[in-house]
Amino acid sequence: MNDKGRIVVVPCSGIGKTYGTVGREAVYSLVEDLRPDDTEVMALSLLVLGDEETRARMRAAPAITVDGCKLACASKMVAESGGRVAYEANVLDTFRRHRQLRPKGVSRLNPDGEQLAEHLAGELAEAADRIQAEEK
Amino acid sequence: MPDLPKKKVGIVACSGEERAEGTVTRLAALKVLELLRPDDTVTICLPLFLAGGQGDRAFARFYPTIAVDGCEKRCAARATEQFSGKPAAGLVVTDLTGERAELGSARRLNEAGQRAVRVLAQQLAEQVDDLLGKPRDQSPLHATPEVTLDHGAETPAEPAPAVEATCSCGSGIPVLTLSVGDQRLTLVVVPAIFEQLYQQGKRPGVDGVGAELLQLARIYNAIPDAEAAAYQAALAREFETFCHNKEG
Repeated sequence: MNDKGRIVVVPCSGIGKTYGTVGREAVYSLVEDLRPDDTEVMALSLLVLGDEETRARMRAAPAITVDGCKLACASKMVAESGGRVAYEANVLDTFRRHRQLRPKGVSRLNPDGEQLAEHLAGELAEAADRIQAEEK
Repeated sequence: MPDLPKKKVGIVACSGEERAEGTVTRLAALKVLELLRPDDTVTICLPLFLAGGQGDRAFARFYPTIAVDGCEKRCAARATEQFSGKPAAGLVVTDLTGERAELGSARRLNEAGQRAVRVLAQQLAEQVDDLLGKPRDQSPLHATPEVTLDHGAETPAEPAPAVEATCSCGSGIPVLTLSVGDQRLTLVVVPAIFEQLYQQGKRPGVDGVGAELLQLARIYNAIPDAEAAAYQAALAREFETFCHNKEG
């Protein structure tokens, strides 16, 4: 755990697909609204670049990754950076549990996309609670 | 008949999740991809240069690419150069706004942040036109409204209906790794060229096919004149293997 005792959360933020934005929005909901004291967001682009400070932050805490497609860039990059993926979320799995929703939009989600992000954020919060309990 | 990939401009945004500037890059890139230059631009997720396949890594060698970064760390520009190819151009939000600009949060940009998106998108669209050698089009469908950070002029109604950004993630550029002399080199688009010639009924060893292979490969790849003969021989060899595999 890092000195703040926080889990780092890394969304893929996939730019060409709705699910990338859903993952990004869900992560902001987690770290700002649901579990602000227990989680913090980390920029994936810094990991891609191999930024040492970011890698050190990554290695010091369990990580939650949030991917928008099966290529699972966030999860792969965290593992490649020496991080410990404690929970691996994929927006597609959440969508399968809420098939009535029709998420659309990349730069701005439609209401169904926002709802899907909230469902995912709830799942991430539960995962964060489990991780925190295990780490104690 | 397979179409050879069209030359477009690639846009790679850092999308940095920890800073408002990262969100500015993401939204400006999407504005260009979806609204301002949808037919001329394509994008890819930055981490795919590492997490994806060879085709993803060929992105910036095939498309002249503009890297859009939020801060001086320039993750998009540096990672693109390191793992794919040198970007043709780059823009950095803090160059535009200054380091201390209050743009809102990464989650919700304020009005200054939204204005930065519009200005950056305008600059990006102009760079796209420059890279494609197009005049800066002022027609209603293509024109980018004049927006400045200082005066905060509002963007008029959007010039064109939104379309989805063209994403290259996972599809990648077709590539072929072959031996040229004693070097192993990766050329882009060559598998698509092979397929096109094959479907046109062209076969290895027929007069002119080797030269045509070289000519088409040179549209997409930098091939030095001094090594053209070696490339042509290598392409002809690979085309022979391709045709052999096709015909079982």
